[in-house]
Amino acid sequence: MSLLAVRLPHLGTVADVPITEGSAQLGAEPDDAEVARRFADGDEQALAWAYERWAAQVHGMAVRAFGPGPDAEDVTQQTFISAWTGRGRYRPEQGPLPAWLVGVCRHKMADTWAKRERQRRSTEAATNEARSAPTTGPGSELATEVADRVLLLGELNRIGQPQRSIIELAFFEDLTHAQIAARTGIPLGTVKSHIRRTLERLRDRLEVDGAALRS
Amino acid sequence: MQHCDPDELALAAFDEQLSAEDAAHLADCAECQREVASLRRSVDVLAVPELAAPGQAIAPPPQVWAAIAAATAVNVSPREEAVARGVDAPAPGPTESAGHELAGSDAGSATVVPIGSRSPRRSAARWLPLAAAVLVGGFIGAGAVAVTQNGAGGAVVAQAGLDPLPEQNASGSAEVRESRGVRELRVDLDLPELDDGYYEVWLLQTDAQRMVPVGVVQRGATVLPLPADLDLAAYPLVDVSVEPLDGDPTHSGVSVVRGELSS
Repeated sequence: MSLLAVRLPHLGTVADVPITEGSAQLGAEPDDAEVARRFADGDEQALAWAYERWAAQVHGMAVRAFGPGPDAEDVTQQTFISAWTGRGRYRPEQGPLPAWLVGVCRHKMADTWAKRERQRRSTEAATNEARSAPTTGPGSELATEVADRVLLLGELNRIGQPQRSIIELAFFEDLTHAQIAARTGIPLGTVKSHIRRTLERLRDRLEVDGAALRS
Repeated sequence: MQHCDPDELALAAFDEQLSAEDAAHLADCAECQREVASLRRSVDVLAVPELAAPGQAIAPPPQVWAAIAAATAVNVSPREEAVARGVDAPAPGPTESAGHELAGSDAGSATVVPIGSRSPRRSAARWLPLAAAVLVGGFIGAGAVAVTQNGAGGAVVAQAGLDPLPEQNASGSAEVRESRGVRELRVDLDLPELDDGYYEVWLLQTDAQRMVPVGVVQRGATVLPLPADLDLAAYPLVDVSVEPLDGDPTHSGVSVVRGELSS
């Protein structure tokens, strides 16, 4: 009855979500790699399978960030809609499908924060207008962070492997460089220099397009 | 003066522990500090708890799929029971934990902001598994300790066994005594001698994010006064760390023994 869930130590990929393998009882069910392949091919059944296997993981993240309710449900829903319509951008060789779904979910979460921030500002602006007060005020630091988050998640998407997995393990799993080396099998020195180069790249991105300079 | 290797500065942006030499240089070098600060910005922005790898799985309510089906016009449906089964999958997450590593700069950070900045998560994520292990390790189960009257030292109001942290060869015990409204922490420690640096004892909150330094300790027994208003229920973990003589008053992140006070 239980699915055999194992965490595969993928070399150079981030297995954000446990990989489920079909048990004897579910012999007819494709394994995760097959679901991913069919998903990329546009097989509708693969969307349903992906939802069965990973929607609870994605929704758990959304609820952690926004609490149970419409915002979290919207994030989960948008994650799967966006993943399905954007499936052409999924590259199986870049990592497992659940990890990609989690990445899409992060974007949707960042968008939701940005949306909330815009709403907050427009409410604030309206209030200040009523009081004829200036519209700049506290909260601009939060606004900067929210905007930078959208920017940097976008930049992460453009980073190739294994650099991307390495930095994601550091950012999102809080692993030290030694733990990342152990997890991925990539030599310590290589992990270190990838971390440095990626942080430099993200810094450059912030310096060119960061919200702090635009505002 | 030789600057830190750029790779090491990137690790410092993640609050990883540097070698004593690099840490000492960084503490004094404005140029290296600026580099770390500039690299840290993206860590602050992205390494927040909300974006961390999935934790607890929660099955979405049925209307979520309904909206997906409507938007994508697919003619299939997931099986509800299969979606619910996704919750049973073990929560993925960091399987390794740095445990006793903590960046000194984070030790004093106290406020938790709504959309987290880096520090609450990093200190929590690295400390909590360990704190939890300590709790499970039996100090809670040690049971209530009767208040014993001792003419000289006053009444024992709390005590703790101190167990080594991973890869540490040390042990000890701690007790808090109260006499005429004055409380003292007595620790008895079996510790290796240090070539340089010193041992310091702290009282930590259970999330190990906030802490109060109590004083310098050494092998054998040391008695130290406790701040009068310190709430031991809020700071129940006794922690002994190795501190370099670097002038940095915050916790080095290298703990040797730890235990929870029970009264």
